Amino acid sequence: MASAGIDDVRAWILGRHPDRTTIAPDENLIESRLVDSLSFVELVYAIEGASGVEVDFDTIDIQDFQTLSSIEKAFFATTRIA
Amino acid sequence: MPAGRVGVDLVPFARVRRLTVDGDAGATVLRRMLSEAEIALCHPGAGWDVAGIAGRLAAKEAVFKTLRARGQTLPWLGIEILKDDAGAPVVRFSGRAAELVQDAGIEQIDVSITHDEPFAVAVAFGVGSSDNS
Repeated sequence: MASAGIDDVRAWILGRHPDRTTIAPDENLIESRLVDSLSFVELVYAIEGASGVEVDFDTIDIQDFQTLSSIEKAFFATTRIA
Repeated sequence: MPAGRVGVDLVPFARVRRLTVDGDAGATVLRRMLSEAEIALCHPGAGWDVAGIAGRLAAKEAVFKTLRARGQTLPWLGIEILKDDAGAPVVRFSGRAAELVQDAGIEQIDVSITHDEPFAVAVAFGVGSSDNS
C-alpha cells in the first residue's frame, strides 16, 4: 500500500503537468520529462516536506529520484508492525 | 575531451516568477540554486530580479551540460554565475562542481546570457587540453 507521503509527491508532480492524470510507479520521471533540473530542486523540497527527511544535495543519489517507486523506497519506507 | 564543448539552456521567466511569489517555500528553493553572492546580484532592491535569476539558472544548466556528468545532479551552488568588472558573466566553481570540471578536463568556461520576456537563454563554451572524452 502506498504511503500518504508518496501520494503527496505524486500529486505535486501531477499538479505541474495538467496534461497527465496518472504516473506509474516505475515511470522514469526524468526521462519522461516530468521532472527537469529546475523542478528537481522543487521536487526535493516537496519530498522533504512530505517525509520530514532533509536531503543533502552534495551527497544526493539520483537513483533515489528516478521513479515514484524509488522515491517511496528511499524516503517513505513504512515501518510494519508484526 | 575535444577542442571544445558547448552547452545551451533556456529558462522561462514564468518558472522563476512562480518561485519568487511562493513565499518561504519559493525563497528556500531559490536559495538552493543561488549562492549568497548571486542573490546579492539578483535581489538588488525591493524585489527579485526575475530576468537576472532566469539568466543565471540557464547559465548554470548550460555550464553543467558541457561537463557531461551523466548520473550526477546539477550542483547549483557550486556553479556560480557572477560578474566581472565590466559586468560580463563569469563562472566560479567550488565543491563537487569543481571536481566535475576537473574530471571533464575542462580548463576554462565562458558563458553568454540573453533575456527578453518571456525567456532567458544561456550558452556555455568550455575548453581544455586533457585526454578525457
